[in-house]
Amino acid sequence: MNQTLAIAINTFKETVRDRILAVIVLFALAMIIASLWLASLSLGQGMRMMRDFGLVAVSLFGLIVAVFVAGNLVHKEVEKRTVFVLFSKPVGRSEFIWGKFLGLAATMFVVVAGMGLFLLVIIWLVAHVLLGSLIVATLLTFVQLAVVMAVTLFFSTFTSAILASVLGVCVFAAGQLSTNVLALSRVGHSALLKGLSWVVFLLVPNLTAIDVKGALAGEGGAHWSTIGGWTAYLLAYIVLCLVGAALVFRRKEF
Amino acid sequence: MSVLSAEIDLPHLAAPPVLALEGVRKTVTVGFRRRRVEILKGVSLTVREGEVVGLLGPNGAGKTTTLKLVLGLMKPSAGSLSLALPRQALGYLPENPYFYDYLTGHEFLELCGRLFGMPREERQEKIAGLLRQVDLEQAARTQLRKYSKGMLQRIGIAQALVNDPAFVLLDEPMTGLDPVGRVEVKRIIESLRDAGKTILFNSHILADVAELCTHIAIMRGGVVVYEGSVEEALVGGAGDLEAFFMEVMRR
Repeated sequence: MNQTLAIAINTFKETVRDRILAVIVLFALAMIIASLWLASLSLGQGMRMMRDFGLVAVSLFGLIVAVFVAGNLVHKEVEKRTVFVLFSKPVGRSEFIWGKFLGLAATMFVVVAGMGLFLLVIIWLVAHVLLGSLIVATLLTFVQLAVVMAVTLFFSTFTSAILASVLGVCVFAAGQLSTNVLALSRVGHSALLKGLSWVVFLLVPNLTAIDVKGALAGEGGAHWSTIGGWTAYLLAYIVLCLVGAALVFRRKEF
Repeated sequence: MSVLSAEIDLPHLAAPPVLALEGVRKTVTVGFRRRRVEILKGVSLTVREGEVVGLLGPNGAGKTTTLKLVLGLMKPSAGSLSLALPRQALGYLPENPYFYDYLTGHEFLELCGRLFGMPREERQEKIAGLLRQVDLEQAARTQLRKYSKGMLQRIGIAQALVNDPAFVLLDEPMTGLDPVGRVEVKRIIESLRDAGKTILFNSHILADVAELCTHIAIMRGGVVVYEGSVEEALVGGAGDLEAFFMEVMRR
């Protein structure tokens, strides 16, 4: 546990100080500010436009951080041989994987929370509305991105960093369509198609069981118990990915 | 040399072995077709307590692989490897160390201390002492990406010593350093030797090996072809370790 925490703290410090992260966050903030201009173009839907566009910016730039940093996390350690230093000390492979994930998750939390807070302040300044439910939507976005990070980390234990990042994006995209795939199985007649749809539905994380934007107040947002259930499902998915990553990594030689 | 053998002047062989490799083989698969390549072809080597052993040999002889096996970064394909010490008692400096860019020297040593589960106070005390020992007190709060190669090598040695190890493994500790850096690293290894640490280090610089080591092992083509004391090797090479090394390579 001590070792996992030590690696997590180290990963957080390393990733949060990386200049690339600062550049990505600056772009995201610029996009959120750009939502003001979009809001001025829409008639009567200004606040909604600003909110939705801002959330898309949080999600998109969070995804960039999730896949590219998570894809590189393990590879960088192996390439630069820092992994030799860690494993020459009493550090297990599982502790390494969990520590890396938790450190990156902390960084992601800071990034997503920062962007969400910025959006909240912008909306408050422009529309004089304190949209508290935006915090819930931002937290749900963070959980979604944490799943993508875990999946990318899993892929990175046996593929290249670039391929792991690409696969991470694919899983994110497939996760948005997961419910549609299940619906497809209901309308089709082919048993093979139905079976295949179920396999895809079970393998790919369902990232849209709750519409994040729909979780906002005043729009018939999801009930707390539904949000809790979905979050528990995604956390279980993360644990499975990390256990898989640790099992693959345990067999690795350097 | 162990305390016991030093006091009653026993021959050095009396010291217990810290590391013993017997017929160790290592095969790896390389390339798309997963071609099998045997890197180590039966390495036998013994390192005893208090010895400073220089592991010599040309590039590709299997020196780094041998160290990786000792550290558990790789598993032997065949043969036996016995290490008399737990991992907590090992210290390791990799070749051309490259650590975390955005951590400061102090933070990096903090990380290493935490990995050994050292309590905060003990950790801080140890880190301060190590920074003094490797002469990096002034650069303790500087990020590692701003360190020179010599400074990285010294912080690398400091991280290898954070747990006060009984057995230190150094992979090419002097390679690529300027003369000043080499002298500084040599001074640190000398102080470790004088403190009675067991040391195994890979090197291509025979003058340093002759100066620092009590024993040498020469590897060629994945096997140890010579193992003995530096004195014996110097006698064999008429006072010149390089001549002896070349002679062993030609055999």
